[in-house]
Amino acid sequence: MSSFIQQIRCHQQVFLDRLAPHSFAPATVQKILAYGAPVGALIEHYEQLNRCMVRLQCLIEKAEQQGRVLEAGTVVLADTLTESSGRFDRVWYAPQGGIWLAMAWPDILLPEFTRFFPFAVGLACCRAVRQYGLDAQLKWVNDILVNGKKLAGILCTSIQSPGGDRYHLIGIGINGNNQTFPGELEYNATSLRVQLSRKIDLAELSGCLLAELRWAIGLLHYDEEQALAAGENCEQGRQSLVLEDWQQLSDTVGQRVEYGFDVQQNPLYQAVAREIDPCGGLVMELEDGARVTEYSGEIIYL
Amino acid sequence: MNVYVNYPSSRGRDGNYILVMLCPFKGEVIYFIVRNFNFTHLTAMSSNQEIHFDEILARYKADPYNYVDMHAIHTGKVRFLLEEGAQVEGASGEWKHKPGTRLYEIDRERNTKVITSKTSGAISSIRSELDGQFVEAGEKLLTIRHPLKKKEIIEAILQEVLYLFEAPERARYYFSMDIQAKIEQKGARSVFIQPGDEIITMSLMKRDTAVYYTGEPGIIHSVYFTPGDSMDQGKPLIGVCAEEKLPLVQKVITRVKAEWE
Repeated sequence: MSSFIQQIRCHQQVFLDRLAPHSFAPATVQKILAYGAPVGALIEHYEQLNRCMVRLQCLIEKAEQQGRVLEAGTVVLADTLTESSGRFDRVWYAPQGGIWLAMAWPDILLPEFTRFFPFAVGLACCRAVRQYGLDAQLKWVNDILVNGKKLAGILCTSIQSPGGDRYHLIGIGINGNNQTFPGELEYNATSLRVQLSRKIDLAELSGCLLAELRWAIGLLHYDEEQALAAGENCEQGRQSLVLEDWQQLSDTVGQRVEYGFDVQQNPLYQAVAREIDPCGGLVMELEDGARVTEYSGEIIYL
Repeated sequence: MNVYVNYPSSRGRDGNYILVMLCPFKGEVIYFIVRNFNFTHLTAMSSNQEIHFDEILARYKADPYNYVDMHAIHTGKVRFLLEEGAQVEGASGEWKHKPGTRLYEIDRERNTKVITSKTSGAISSIRSELDGQFVEAGEKLLTIRHPLKKKEIIEAILQEVLYLFEAPERARYYFSMDIQAKIEQKGARSVFIQPGDEIITMSLMKRDTAVYYTGEPGIIHSVYFTPGDSMDQGKPLIGVCAEEKLPLVQKVITRVKAEWE
């Protein structure tokens, strides 16, 4: 069990060493990585769990009972999940072969930056998948698609512990070596193995993902620091660094979409995605030419 | 001496507040005009006091309008697009996607934004001396006088009586699964909530946040959103009423319905 975690840590370091330097100065890169350093500070690995997020909540409560707080960046990994679910209690299929992971992060960002947290996590996942040479794209807000099929999904929730501490819990599922999907997912889901026609090393993929999460979450915190120094935020039109990177990997703008709060159960309207506003809102053009901006909900491509 | 604060509908045209005080010896009502008063510690009190229907109704009959102040959304040079007395309309369309009447432009570093009306009514005052001038964020620019319908008056009075639980951020909201199940089973007015209860989930950018109730214990009397609705920060989500005050609330509704033409 521990050797798998050691392998993850080794791979994480390898990916950190070769992170694309972007246009930042070395000192800035160090600062960003320092902000994200707690990612994976503590890793638990299980062969089977009901849900990784439930285990994280138990760890939060246990830490509180011991008079402390859970370490930021604590990660829980499982080889299979028995009761996994997506948003709106949708079924999430988590068999052997995938990466099923949850991470706790303290709620320390200002609200205007917390809104970018799901973008940062999506960015990290997308970049991790792209390390394998696939042309992964982000669908607003953070679905990872390859050739139009969903390869990874993210669940973000914010909770308050019984003691009053607030955490963001992120759940990430990446289809790795699993190749078959139940009925309704057969035509909409894919995996790295299906796309690459080869088996992948799950410890390597996990390490890569943690490295990218460290970068993306660190970038979000650095972004907040810069915005505070400038005295501006997205409401005043400031472009977020995370959103800038996110947009480079997203194919949403220009797509004809169907929008809904729960688009599968209750689609509301069809429109063309025109732009992402500085606060991450999706600006869509309706049939009559009027534009509407949404800050929550979800879309499907038509 | 009891203090009754009719907030926010007692707000006058000049943006000040009217503090209503009842003298215990003579039973006289005394009105004070209050500037820059901090109401936060008094909000819960309003729902613990008896309701003076005659005063409230008289106030609405004398001035059946809501006054909506429009403030500069950020620093910049302002140019008004309307004059005092002009009629304005709020956003329309199925998704409220058709903007309301254009009120003013604000320009900062050659980035011009047009601000539109969110409510219908008439412009009752406009600070025309600011036209073409640079203003700070939050500067009051104009006021829209919105004529209240009977339903809006009932709601406004109820909002003085109920404890209002507000949206913490501009986001979409839905009831927690437990509360939703109870509402579906028995109706909202049978659902009792108390501080610490997880009542609502806030959804912003596909991040769901559990929202815990922080007001006084009571039943959910009014729901101001449809699950999945987008609500602006500070807008009331639910109005909560202590169980023993339910008959009083019903009396408000009946009285206004009967007396309002």
